Amino acid sequence: MPRVLLLFARTSYRAEAFLEAARRLGVDVTVGSNHRQALADLAPGATLTLGIKDVARSSATIVRFAADYPLAAIVAAEDDFTPLAATASEALGLTHHPSQAVRCARNKALMRERLSAAGFSSPWFRTAQLEDDPVAVASRIEFPCVLKPLALSASRGVIRADTLEQFVPAWNRIRAILEEKDVVGRIGRLATEILIEAYLPGRELAVEGIVSAGELLTLAVLDKPDPMEGPFFEETILLTPSSFPEPFQEDITSLVSECAAHLGLSDGPIHAELRVHDDRISLLEIAPRSIGGRCSAILRFEPDASLEELILRHALGMPLHGFLREPGAAGVMMLPIPAAGILREVGGLEAALEVPDIDGLEITIPLGHTVIPLPEGNRYLGFLFARAKTPDQVETALRAAHSRIEVRIEEA
Amino acid sequence: MKSPIQFTDLARDAVLRFADMGGESEPAVRIQVASPSPLDPRYEITLIDDDEKREEDLVFGQEGFDIVVDPESAKLLNGASVDWVEGLQESGFKVENPNLAPIGSKPLEGPLADRVQQVIEQYVNPGVAQHGGNVTLVEVRDDIVYLQMGGGCQGCGMASVTLSQGIERILKEQVPEIVGIEDVTNHSAGDNPYFTSEK
Repeated sequence: MPRVLLLFARTSYRAEAFLEAARRLGVDVTVGSNHRQALADLAPGATLTLGIKDVARSSATIVRFAADYPLAAIVAAEDDFTPLAATASEALGLTHHPSQAVRCARNKALMRERLSAAGFSSPWFRTAQLEDDPVAVASRIEFPCVLKPLALSASRGVIRADTLEQFVPAWNRIRAILEEKDVVGRIGRLATEILIEAYLPGRELAVEGIVSAGELLTLAVLDKPDPMEGPFFEETILLTPSSFPEPFQEDITSLVSECAAHLGLSDGPIHAELRVHDDRISLLEIAPRSIGGRCSAILRFEPDASLEELILRHALGMPLHGFLREPGAAGVMMLPIPAAGILREVGGLEAALEVPDIDGLEITIPLGHTVIPLPEGNRYLGFLFARAKTPDQVETALRAAHSRIEVRIEEA
Repeated sequence: MKSPIQFTDLARDAVLRFADMGGESEPAVRIQVASPSPLDPRYEITLIDDDEKREEDLVFGQEGFDIVVDPESAKLLNGASVDWVEGLQESGFKVENPNLAPIGSKPLEGPLADRVQQVIEQYVNPGVAQHGGNVTLVEVRDDIVYLQMGGGCQGCGMASVTLSQGIERILKEQVPEIVGIEDVTNHSAGDNPYFTSEK
């Protein structure tokens, strides 16, 4: 039975989905994580403790492990472990995006630089050191702009500034995020810089796919119907199929494919974010991983496969052809956190589930825990899922169900 | 043909009351097993019109109405009884079905359960206690172990890893007859998970 090493950050949303996918495919699993598992001593070979920051050291640990427990694939569930998955895969000759490409895509400034130099449509951008004087930095840029960390995901620390008066507080908020011990532990030296780039107006969308031997297999184009105009860029609803006309969607996925190829992302999942304004498509980011949080639950494929199964199939060299997204429309709402404080109550869940076309609801922050909204927040309140015939029906269901959920947050 | 499903007087009265409200003179009730999972067995009980009866259905005469059951559901409903319960919040039919007794409703006994319990006490709980967690055996049925996780394990983002990479492996090693492990924990009710998910 082939063995796959699944890499989960200890804060992963994806462990259950990937483990279930592996079970369905009948492969043996080792879980690698940045925290020792509670029962690690009971089952040799079942788990592995690996650091995130020291990629070379963790990769050597994996190579030693593979001598006793041969690995057929290494898959990282989320951003943090993608450099390690790529490096260790290279060392063991396994299918994966090259480590150089992963490093480039993980660093939003470097990615921008590479794509811009190759002539891809790109906003102006520049980077600045955390210790720079924000007033001096702001004097050298144009407004409106967007400030963002180089390597955080899900819009964490992304802030729009239209004036100097907005720029400096935005800078200070991002600096505070990047100085958090946990963030430094996760992204290392990428926490020492801030990316500043032009604000691009327009509709935002995402593309989910798997690149196999350099060929992009598009799995879904997802619309974001809520306006993403700032000052923060909280993702709420994702809908698929996209409402953009088919030929235009092909232009979108062609651009994603070309950008992935240019960055060298050749074998593995990708998740791209784009903006469309006046029929002009601009790539915001392309990450060497699949969609985050629990959002993958909306992507089901016929015959009977999850996104995680397709990712594992690709990594294990199993055929991907013949899988099609299930017919109909699907969507997810990442439940926004309305205020900072202590989460005391989430009511109306049954009423929300009774809304026609609602397919599921998960609250992922326990009661009594601290909740922090964007741009500082790093957790989703929960996820609401819907399926229907059309994306409009899905969106209507998600909004109706959300309106029934009552969140009580007590000031901390 | 004698019905394999019994309706209590209260349930019968409820059916006839609903039929009367709908103007049905010869009412028929379809009972269907919507989910046979012992984790959450669910039933659908609906008044149907004559033209909604299907050729393969089994029809049993009851005092005042017919009971209509599809063949698959009939296999699972032999000996079941239907009652009508009134509550402050809601009222409805309640099905007692010995074939699909919910997990945890049977006493925890027998040599297999004893061995599983011993493994949990000897190996699993001392391990998960390091993370403030605990694991309770709920039932062993058809060689499947049903477990509940508590403390730091309840709602933990790594609970599925603990289950598949730790508990399942040690249980299958120590009690080879075990064919599966099911987690019946309500993880969303966990208020102190060891790991919580983050972006």
